[in-house]
Amino acid sequence: MKKINKKLLGISASLMMMGAASLSQAETLKIGLAGPVTGPVAQYGDMQMIGAQMAIAKINEAGGVNGMQLEGVIYDDACDPKQAVQVANKIVNDGVRYVVGHLCSSSTQPASDIYEDEGIIMVTAASTSPDITSRGYQMVFRTIGLDSHQGPTAGNHIADKVKPSKMAIIHDKQQYGEGIASAVKKTVEAKGINVVMFEGITAGDKDFSSLIAKMQKEGVDFVYYGGYHPELGLILRQSAERKFEAGFMGPEGVGNKDLSAIAGQASEKLLVTLPPSFDLRPENKDLVESFKAKNQDASGAFVLTAYSAVQVMTDAMKKTGNSDTDAMQKAMREMTFKTPTGDIQFDEKGDLKKFDFVVYQWHADGSKTAVK
Amino acid sequence: MLETSLYFIQQLLNGLTIGSTYALIAIGYTMVYGIIGMINFAHGEIYMIGMYISFIAISGLTMLGVEYLPLILFITLLISVFISSTYGWAVERVAYRPVRGGNRLIALISAIGMSIFLQNYVRIAQGSRDIAMPSLIQGGWSMGPADGFQATLSYMQLFIFIATFITMTGLTLFIAKSRMGRACRAVSEDMKMAGLLGINTNRIISLTFIIGAALAAVAGLLLGLYYGVTNPYIGFIAGLKAFTAAVLGGIGSIPGAMLGGLVLGVTESMTSAYFSSEYKDVVSFGLLILILLFRPTGLLGKPEVEKI
Repeated sequence: MKKINKKLLGISASLMMMGAASLSQAETLKIGLAGPVTGPVAQYGDMQMIGAQMAIAKINEAGGVNGMQLEGVIYDDACDPKQAVQVANKIVNDGVRYVVGHLCSSSTQPASDIYEDEGIIMVTAASTSPDITSRGYQMVFRTIGLDSHQGPTAGNHIADKVKPSKMAIIHDKQQYGEGIASAVKKTVEAKGINVVMFEGITAGDKDFSSLIAKMQKEGVDFVYYGGYHPELGLILRQSAERKFEAGFMGPEGVGNKDLSAIAGQASEKLLVTLPPSFDLRPENKDLVESFKAKNQDASGAFVLTAYSAVQVMTDAMKKTGNSDTDAMQKAMREMTFKTPTGDIQFDEKGDLKKFDFVVYQWHADGSKTAVK
Repeated sequence: MLETSLYFIQQLLNGLTIGSTYALIAIGYTMVYGIIGMINFAHGEIYMIGMYISFIAISGLTMLGVEYLPLILFITLLISVFISSTYGWAVERVAYRPVRGGNRLIALISAIGMSIFLQNYVRIAQGSRDIAMPSLIQGGWSMGPADGFQATLSYMQLFIFIATFITMTGLTLFIAKSRMGRACRAVSEDMKMAGLLGINTNRIISLTFIIGAALAAVAGLLLGLYYGVTNPYIGFIAGLKAFTAAVLGGIGSIPGAMLGGLVLGVTESMTSAYFSSEYKDVVSFGLLILILLFRPTGLLGKPEVEKI
């Protein structure tokens, strides 16, 4: 008898524990944070993760969403399109309904096919390729501008301020790099700038001496590079070693501190188009302090766009409840969100109605100043 | 006219620089193939490890307060060659020797596995981001008009040429003159017979891996200094290119690997110079296919005679 009692007690105890476990599970609402945690562009992944985690922490502090606490679950796609698809499938299997990410446009695009089919809301804080939202998808949003805006911003700056006599445009043959390079080419050529070279390189290459010699021979005095920092860093470094003294410009994919580590002094005076420094807005002073308290840097290009990505989803959830993602996406297209990146609204495609890129000058110590 | 020829010289120098480092890595592939008829796919990773060790050694020495550059380079070279050779030796002992008797495909798969293992091991140990180092050897000679196009031979390029030349000469002399070199040649001609004549074939095979890894470490140091950047993934592309160079020159032949590396480097450089860097790989691999169509054994390879 005593034995049976003990058994019963054990069973009821374990039942109670199971109950408690399922209860606590029901209380958290998982948000998938997908982006490169490893790989050559993990720097950008860090920016996205700290921004999103901070938003989750702040919202939890304020009582969560509809009585539930949020939980950020990190998924690593290493900025590899194949891995991004695996990650997307894993997110589906894990039952996560909301995703912040992915980061690289070439990862976001294939992953978004899966989210659209499965009715998972995806808000990317960093992918700028126009193709991502031009396919009539309902579940895909972004809290950053487009290359088709960034390209003209860069192109107009080159044509109006720099006025090079012979310009070269180099890209890394990837969706993001080639897309933005083409947009820049179109803008500057419409304004009568002489583009003497338009060439692709292979991402992962280390030797650019032939390319640099060719630009020297052509008498190029300004170079636009569409791609990421590992290659541009080496191009800058090798250009300085060969005394090729043209001006350089790149998109937001090159603007991080690793660039300066690779290129050193050669990264001084590089022009970069970046999202505006949202961390310098007076409204965000307290928020930036909270990042500092955690020893994190809020000045990264995608930190606060990722913060906004979490916030637009939770604000929409508060309005529509968190079960029906279809109602949520409809609401997201109608609402105005008050976020650290300003008051934002989405258009039919899921893009921001307004987003301006700003031209910055990069410095060898990894800091930047706005170009007037 | 002057500008065109200066431009040609510049691109030739660029091609020879990159080509000589391809050659250094290619020798590792070709020697192993020449002796045990297997492709050591983990060789590119040994080169990558060599580069990491050079970076670590250089920063370590600078922190210890050594400032005399030739001394830094010499000590770094010794450390990097020693540790990389140990890796090369260990890879053979752990992954290839136990499966050597069986089907060649088994060793090939083992090599691919070793490559993935080493790549991820470095990724976990060192992080996946690019590690950078400032240029240590700066400056160079320029030719040509001050206001026009100038061909530049940087001291770094010269250093690469000289270091490659010394290493290659040393290796050629070692293979041609020394007792061990003679044993190497004997084993590559007929392993069983060499064994019967009292040559310790296992030791010779280990030696081959050690020499290959040492040359890869030299290439790692040179290219590490030249580019100033490394990450755990560079071994794959470099290995692929060097393997191509080895096949181009005739796999199994050491002079072939040297020639193949230079031909590949110059082809790449000339393609980006006069065509477009987009087609660099297309042209170099197209060349490889052409050469193999007309000379299936590669440029300097000997046709395999079936031994009866």
